[in-house]
Amino acid sequence: MEDIVLELKNVNHWFGSGAKQNNVLYDLNLKIRAGQIVSLIGPSGCGKSVLLRAIVGTHPPREGHIIVHASDNVQSAIMKHKPGRDVGIVYQQYSLFPFLTAVQNVAFGLMLDQTNIPFRAFRPFKWRHLRKQHLAEAATLLERLKLKNAIHKYPSEMSGGMCQRVAIAQALIMKPMILLLDEPFGALDEATRTELQDMLLTLYAENNQTIQAGQRPPYTIIIVTHELNEAIRVGDRVIGLSMNWNWRKDHAIYPGTTIVYDKRAPIFLPEQEIDYAMLKKQKEEISHAVFDASFQQDRDEFRQFWSENKTGRSQDA
Amino acid sequence: MLGQPLKKILRVLIIFLSLSFIIGGYTFLSHRQHQKNPKDKTIPTWSQLKNGVKKICEKNRRSKKRWIVEDSKASAERLFWGLLWGIIGAIVIGLAIGCFPFVEAAFAPILAILAKLPPTAALALFFVMLGTGRNMYIGIILVGILPVLAQSIFLSIKDIPRELVYKAITLGASKMELVWNVIVRQILPQMINAVRLQIGPALVYLIAAEYACAHIGFGYRLRLQARLVNMDVVYPYLVILIVFGFLMDWLLKAIQIKLCKWYHKEGK
Ligand SMILES: Nc1ncnc2c1ncn2[C@@H]1O[C@H](COP(=O)(O)OP(=O)(O)OP(=O)(O)O)[C@@H](O)[C@H]1O
Ligand SMILES: [Mg+2]
Repeated sequence: MEDIVLELKNVNHWFGSGAKQNNVLYDLNLKIRAGQIVSLIGPSGCGKSVLLRAIVGTHPPREGHIIVHASDNVQSAIMKHKPGRDVGIVYQQYSLFPFLTAVQNVAFGLMLDQTNIPFRAFRPFKWRHLRKQHLAEAATLLERLKLKNAIHKYPSEMSGGMCQRVAIAQALIMKPMILLLDEPFGALDEATRTELQDMLLTLYAENNQTIQAGQRPPYTIIIVTHELNEAIRVGDRVIGLSMNWNWRKDHAIYPGTTIVYDKRAPIFLPEQEIDYAMLKKQKEEISHAVFDASFQQDRDEFRQFWSENKTGRSQDA
Repeated sequence: MLGQPLKKILRVLIIFLSLSFIIGGYTFLSHRQHQKNPKDKTIPTWSQLKNGVKKICEKNRRSKKRWIVEDSKASAERLFWGLLWGIIGAIVIGLAIGCFPFVEAAFAPILAILAKLPPTAALALFFVMLGTGRNMYIGIILVGILPVLAQSIFLSIKDIPRELVYKAITLGASKMELVWNVIVRQILPQMINAVRLQIGPALVYLIAAEYACAHIGFGYRLRLQARLVNMDVVYPYLVILIVFGFLMDWLLKAIQIKLCKWYHKEGK
């Protein structure tokens, strides 16, 4: 059982047309298993944000398909061409609603998802009762993320790291099938960063428990980062997008960035010792395959995720 | 913006000083004028002003009504309805063109044209179309403030980061929830600011229309008394207008603080 949750088929994307056409994404094919934390890396401007926007559905690709599999059942596949509840996102900026406090921000999705305007207007007592539950649930989650003291603060009163944690809580509480994080920890200091990485890793541990119980793991996460240590430490799979591949072999003009790297990465849970030697080796490989402009390899050379793992689960190795 | 915020007591002191400077200056000017011409009415003395205020407040012999009461009532009513319809119309149109591209294409050019039209110049038009009753005053205020208000609401909507809207959709918001729970909430403070800035122009349009064709109201009284150079009546009326302006400003600010706590915490 592969249990694929996200599938990309021949995704191409470009901006503009005619002489000004700017090819960004070329022929992306990808299958992501439920429960994975995938690190998406690549040089600046290679199209990572464009890809995330396509997966969210706000800016569908010009060509190809993005399919979300709600379950293993073929019929539950959703063609993604508009945003919806199945894919959540944390943007680098502007992820929180400035007019809501932390706890209200987190509870906002519960309100939008479970109620509608007529219900809130005409069933005020029921709504107030439900609202209390939402706020309590949001407060519990914020406490788990060590934000107890910030519960009633507005985004403008919180630090960048606190806002980012609230934004992650806001997305997590909705239990989206896929959660996209676009450089979520970009502007944070090392300590806060590690703390948030640990938080993602506890979600990964939760996933493993559910898998052992024979159920579909709840959190599938794609995280964009430009920090290679982070990519390898947090992700159990690293995918590299790059313009450095030997496209000249088949194309007259540059077709866009494509996936040039796709391999497993070791996960180091918070309590685990980090194997720095192993980390260093993979880091060097990635630097070479993804970031080195003088190195124009065949794009399949470092795409071994599915051949090295029959099922895609890290434990199988 | 520049410099440290002043301590409260210092602020009050400075306000007090500048006010006493204005009052003192006025007293001096009026005194000098009356030395030259004891019958002068252009810069009335304080006792002349007192008489003027009395004239305003006492019952008129013929109509058995007090000027201040009947003028305030007439003008306030016109202003209220004009503002109300203007604001409601602007919110509806501003939201519609800000949120729905189709409506934007249809309405934005009309609004742009209307915004360029000085309503005072088109007074005759209102006169012909709406008669001389209350509707004319409502019409001129509405046409005066609605385009600008609607445009500023539209612009505030354009300024909302797209990410917030996308975010709300991924959280399960419907179209109506996007408008009501995200967009309106987000632009409410700017909306209130825009209304605050339009109170002044609304008064200008009202007074101008009353100047031209009313038989009662602030504009009418001001025109009549200014013709007779009864500045002892004109000045108190002007003071009332200023005080009214301040009150409205204060009220809207209080509403803004109450409804948009987050806005007042930003930048502190
Ligand atoms: N709305 C747009 N219109 C035109 N071109 C765009 C648009 N958005 C992105 N691009 C182009 O797409 C390419 C990829 O941009 P993208 O923002 O995805 O980069 P990125 O990989 O996220 O980079 P970074 O790591 O710096 O965030 C760039 O060449 C950019 O110019
Ligand atoms: Mg980006």
